[in-house]
Amino acid sequence: MRALAILFVGLIPLSAGAYEGEVRRRVVDGGTPEPVLTKTPELQKFVPAQYPTEAEKHGLTAIVHMLVTIAADGSVSDVKVVVPVGNGFDEAAVEAVRQFQFSPGEVDGAPSPVQIEYLYHFTLENQAVARPPPAPSTGVLRGQLIARGSRVRVPAASVQCANAPGREALSDVDGRFELSTAAGSCEVKVLANGFELYQAAEMISANEVREVTYYLVPQVTGYETVVRGEREGTEVVRHTLDRAEVQRIPGSFGDPIRAVQNFPGVARAPFVAGQLIVRGATPSETNTQMDGVSIPLLYHLGGGPSVVNAEFLNKVDFYPGGFGTRYGRAIGGIVDVETRKGARDTAHGVFKIDPLDASAFVEAPLGGSVSVAGAVRRSYVDALLPFFLPKDSNGGTLLVVPRYWDYQVRMDVGSTRQFSGSSFYLMAFGADDALRVVATGGGRNRDVSLNAHTLFHRVKGDWTYRKGNFASVFAPYVGYDSGNGTFGTTSAFQADVSSLGAREDLTLDIGKRLTLRSGIDALFNHLTGSAQLPLLAGTQYRGFPGAQPSVETQTLHRAINGLDAALYAESDFKAGPLTLTPGVRATAARFHGHDLHAIDPRLWIRYRLADRTRLKGSVGLYSQAPNGTDFDDPPFGTPGLRFQRAFQTSAGVEQRFGSVWSGDLVAYFNRRYDVVVSPGQILTNADGSVTREQFSNDGLGRAYGLELLLRHQVTRSFSGWLAYTLNRSLVRRSGGDDYILSAFDETHILALVATWRPGAHWELGGRFRYVTGRPITPVRHPHDTYSADANRFYPTDGADRSARLPAFRQLDLRIQKDFLFQSWTLSIYLDVQNVTNTRNVEARVFDYRFRQALNVPGIPILPLLGVKGSF
Amino acid sequence: MIRLARTAVVAVALSTAGACVSPEDDPSNVKDLRVLAISIEPPELMADDCASALSSRAIYTSEVTLTALIADPKGNDRQLRYELLACADPTDRNCSDAGDRTVLANGLTPAGELALQIRPGALTLSSGTPLLQRVVDIDDFHGFGGIRMPLVLHLFRGNERIYAQKLMVFNCRMFPEMTANTNPVIPGLRENGNPWGADALMTLQGSGRFNLSPEDFTNLEESYVVPGFDLTPVHLRESWKLSWHTDLGTISPTETGGVDLGGQESRQMVEWKPSGGPEQDVDFWVVARDGRGGESWLKRRAHYSP
Repeated sequence: MRALAILFVGLIPLSAGAYEGEVRRRVVDGGTPEPVLTKTPELQKFVPAQYPTEAEKHGLTAIVHMLVTIAADGSVSDVKVVVPVGNGFDEAAVEAVRQFQFSPGEVDGAPSPVQIEYLYHFTLENQAVARPPPAPSTGVLRGQLIARGSRVRVPAASVQCANAPGREALSDVDGRFELSTAAGSCEVKVLANGFELYQAAEMISANEVREVTYYLVPQVTGYETVVRGEREGTEVVRHTLDRAEVQRIPGSFGDPIRAVQNFPGVARAPFVAGQLIVRGATPSETNTQMDGVSIPLLYHLGGGPSVVNAEFLNKVDFYPGGFGTRYGRAIGGIVDVETRKGARDTAHGVFKIDPLDASAFVEAPLGGSVSVAGAVRRSYVDALLPFFLPKDSNGGTLLVVPRYWDYQVRMDVGSTRQFSGSSFYLMAFGADDALRVVATGGGRNRDVSLNAHTLFHRVKGDWTYRKGNFASVFAPYVGYDSGNGTFGTTSAFQADVSSLGAREDLTLDIGKRLTLRSGIDALFNHLTGSAQLPLLAGTQYRGFPGAQPSVETQTLHRAINGLDAALYAESDFKAGPLTLTPGVRATAARFHGHDLHAIDPRLWIRYRLADRTRLKGSVGLYSQAPNGTDFDDPPFGTPGLRFQRAFQTSAGVEQRFGSVWSGDLVAYFNRRYDVVVSPGQILTNADGSVTREQFSNDGLGRAYGLELLLRHQVTRSFSGWLAYTLNRSLVRRSGGDDYILSAFDETHILALVATWRPGAHWELGGRFRYVTGRPITPVRHPHDTYSADANRFYPTDGADRSARLPAFRQLDLRIQKDFLFQSWTLSIYLDVQNVTNTRNVEARVFDYRFRQALNVPGIPILPLLGVKGSF
Repeated sequence: MIRLARTAVVAVALSTAGACVSPEDDPSNVKDLRVLAISIEPPELMADDCASALSSRAIYTSEVTLTALIADPKGNDRQLRYELLACADPTDRNCSDAGDRTVLANGLTPAGELALQIRPGALTLSSGTPLLQRVVDIDDFHGFGGIRMPLVLHLFRGNERIYAQKLMVFNCRMFPEMTANTNPVIPGLRENGNPWGADALMTLQGSGRFNLSPEDFTNLEESYVVPGFDLTPVHLRESWKLSWHTDLGTISPTETGGVDLGGQESRQMVEWKPSGGPEQDVDFWVVARDGRGGESWLKRRAHYSP
C-alpha cells in the first residue's frame, strides 16, 4: 500500500497579528509593504501514513485534503482536514503530516509561519513506498507557469510526473520550476491553488533539459485568490473595496467613487449622480484623496464618471466618520484611493470600451527594481451625440460637445519586499473636461453659447524608509488647476491654481503594546483669476423682481493665497484586549491674509470581547477650512470666515461569523457647526453703503443613526454585502428657526450587493436598493398668488420638508463572460440598471400656478454593454 | 471660478431633466380668472434729496393710478369682488399680517381694466406708524436702492381667489443722472409682419403658423442708474420682457425679452397655435415689463376660423 503525499500550493504567509488563525494579507498604512512570500517551504522529512486496516481490507482509496500550518522553524504546528473522507484516512494522514519537517518558509526574507494546502493520496499498491530521496536526474523538465489570459506568473505550484511519483518541483515567485525526472515519458501534472489541474505529456530524453511554458487556466478570472480580511486596525469604521469588487458592482459603471455609495452611512444621490452624502454631510464636506492627495474635481463634467480610473487603483478605503488624525480638511467622511504598483513579472495591460468612453491601462517592469503603470481614458460621447440630437427644422444650429479625459501614471523604484531600507515612487494624475453648447438661429428666440473647460494635474513623490520598528513616509506633491469659460458675448472667466503640498508620516513601534504615529500635512495654494461679468444683481446692487436688464460689465482680477498646515500625533496603547488610540490634530491656516486655528482631539477605543467579537467607539473634533475663494473681499467673498467644525462620535460592535461572514453595527451622532452657507447677512454700514455678505459661518447640522453591514468576503464563487442605514439628518441656520430635515435626509437606506461566479468564467451580479424618499415641502393651493412685476406665481407652502417623495426601489443586474486565450482575456459585460423599469420619482415639479404636481421620473431601464481586453 | 464652470454644466443637465415633464396648463392660455398685469402711473415716485426724512418727501404722498388687467373668459361678464391692500413686507404676498397692512379700496368689478386712484405713500397703519416707514424698517436693505411697498389686489368670486402683488417704488436721487421711471409703451403689434392696429379685427384662418411680434421698441428702452452697494452708480439699460396671452390655444414662447448673463438678448417673436374649436373671436394680450416696476399692455382681437 502506498500513500502519496502531494503538496498543493503554499500561498499565503501568516504574519504576526493575523486574525483568528486564518489566512489574511495584512494591509498597513504609512508605506509599510504587504508581506510577500519570498521562499516556499520544502519538505525535508516525509513520514508515510499508516494505511487504515479496514479501508485496505475493503480496497478503499482516498485523497485527504488538508490545511497545514508550518511554523517558522519548519515544524508542523497545526493540521486541519478541509473535507473529511472518513474510513480512518483523515486520522492517518493527520498523524503522519504532523511529523513532517519542512525547511522554513520566508516572508520578506525572514523565517515566518506559512500555511499550505496538502493532498495526501492513499492508493492501493503492492508495497508502501516512502517518498524516495531525490534520485540522480537523467532528464530535466524546466519551464515557467503562466496564468492563461492574464499572463501572471504562477508561484508555489506543484509540478510532477504522475507516472514517476516521488519527484516534484515547486515554482518560484516568477513561476519558474525545474523538475528532475527519469528519462522517458512524463505525464505532467501541475497543481496550483486557484487554477484548474493542468496535464500534459512530455518525452524527455536522457540528459535532456526540456524547456516548456505551461498556461494554467484560472478557476476564477479577475480576482486574486487571497481572501482579504480586516487588518488588525484601530479605526472604528473603515470599509474597503479592492479593484475587482469596484469594477463589478452592478449599476455603478465600474466607478470606484460610486461604488462607495453602496456602503452604510451614504445617502443615495439623485438620478445616477455620484455625489457622496455621508452621515448627513454635504458632498463638499467629504474629502476624496488619491494616495493622500486631495482630488480637486472629482467628477467629469460636474456629475459624470469620477476621474479615478478603476484599473489604476489597488483599493478604496472609505471612512464614514471617526477617522484618524492623519486625515483632515473634512468634517464628513474620507475616501482614500490607493493606486497600484506596476507589475514585477512582465508587461500587462487592459483595454476597455463602453458607451461612454474608452480606456487603457498598461504596467510593466523596467528592469532591476523599477516598474511603471499608467492608465488613460477618453470619452467619445461628443462624437456620438450629434447622431442623437434633434435637428432644427428651421435651419438653426444645435451643438452639444461634452468631452473628458483623465490619466494616472506611477513609477516605483526599490523593492517593497525588503524588510528595511527605502523605496520610492513617483505618481501623477489629472483630468481634463470641456463642454461646448451652441444653440443659435432657426426658431430660437435666444441664442445660447457656452464654453467651459477645467483641468487639473498632480505630481506626487513618495519616499518610504524603514528601519526596524521605525518607518517614515515623505510625500511632497505639486498641482496645477485651471478653469476657463465663456458664456454669450459678455461673460468670461479664467482661473489658475498652483499648489504645493507635503506630508511626512512617522511610525514607531515600541514593543507590542505601544505604537506612536506623528506627522505633518501642509498645503499651499496660489490662485490667480480674472473674469469679465455683468455687475451682479443681489451681489453688487439691488435687483428688481423679474428684471433682466442690460448691465454694464466689469473686469475682475484676483490673487488669493491659502496655506493650511497641520501637525498630528496619535498612539495606540494596547492593554490586553483593550486598545486606546488618543490623538490630536492641530491646524494653522492663513487664507487671503486671515489666520485660522483649530485643535482637534480624537479618541478611538477598541475592546476585544471575544475571539470574534470587538466593541469599538470613537469621539472627536474635526475641522475644514472654507474654500480659498470664499475669503475674497466683498462683495464676492467674506474675509472673516472661520473653520467649519464637527463633533463626531460613534459606538459599535464587530462580529465575525465563521471564516467568510462578518457583521458591523455602529451607532453614530454628528453635529456640524460654523458651516459656511450662502448668502450671508445684509449689513448697512455707517457711511450708508451696504455689505451683502456672500458667505457666513451660520450653518448648523446634526445627524444620527445606525449602520449595519453584513459582508461575505471575496471568495472564488461569491462575494457581497447587505448595507442598511437608519438615519436622520437635520439642518438650520444659527439664529434662525428650529432644525428641519436636510435635503438629503433618507430614513432607511438599504443596499444588497451580490456577485456569484458559477464557473466556466461566468459572473452574475446584482444590486437591490430601497431608499426612503427625500423630503419635500408640500404645496397647497387655496388660491393663486401672483407677482405682477416678476410675472410668476408662488406656491403656498406647508411646513418645510414635512412630506416625502415616494420611496426609491431599483434592481440592477450585471453579467460578464470571460474568454481566456493563451495570452489575453476577452471580457464582455452587460450592466443593466433598473432591470424592472421601475418608475422612481426623483423630483416633483408643478405647473406655473402650482395647481398640478408632476413627478420627474428617474432613469428607465438602462443597459450598458462593455468590452474589455486584458493581457 | 472653477465652480462657475461646474455650475454651468450642472445647470444644463438639470434643465434637461426638467424638460422631461410637461404640464398641461400653459401660462399663455387664459382659460379662467386671471390677473394678467398691474400697472401704476407713475410707476415710481422719486424725491430729490436722499438725506431728507421720509415724512418730508412730499412727492411720496402723490396720487397714483393703479390699473389691473383682469381676464375672465368664462365669467360671462360676472361681477368680481376685490379689495386693494397695502402692507409692509414684500414676502407677505397675501398681505396676511393684519398689523402691517391697510385697505385702500374694495368693491365689485367686471373683467377688463380696473382703475383705482390711490395715495400709497400717505398710508398709516392702525398703530399710527406710517406704512412707508414700516416698509423701510422691515426691509433688509432699509430702503437702499428704492423703497418697495407691496400693493396686493385680492380678487375673488366663489371658490376662485387670486392675490396679485405689485410693488410701488419710492426712490430718491442719489446720483444726479437718476430719473424717475416711466411705464413702457409697446408701439404696436404685427401678425406675420402685417401691422395689427388696436381697432382692427384681424382675420386668422386655418392651422398654419401665426407669428406675432411687436413693433420695434429698442429706442424706447430707457437707460438708467441705480446705486451699487459700494455707493457707486451702476449703469443699466432696460430690456423689456413681453408676456403673451390668448384665450384660444397657446403662444410659444410665453415670454420674450430680457438679457441673460452672457449678454444675449431674446428676440421678440412668438408663434400662436390655435387649439381648434369652432369659429370664434379670439383675444390676445401682450404685457410689457421694463424690469423696474413699469408695466403696460396691448390688447388685440382676431376672428379665427379653423
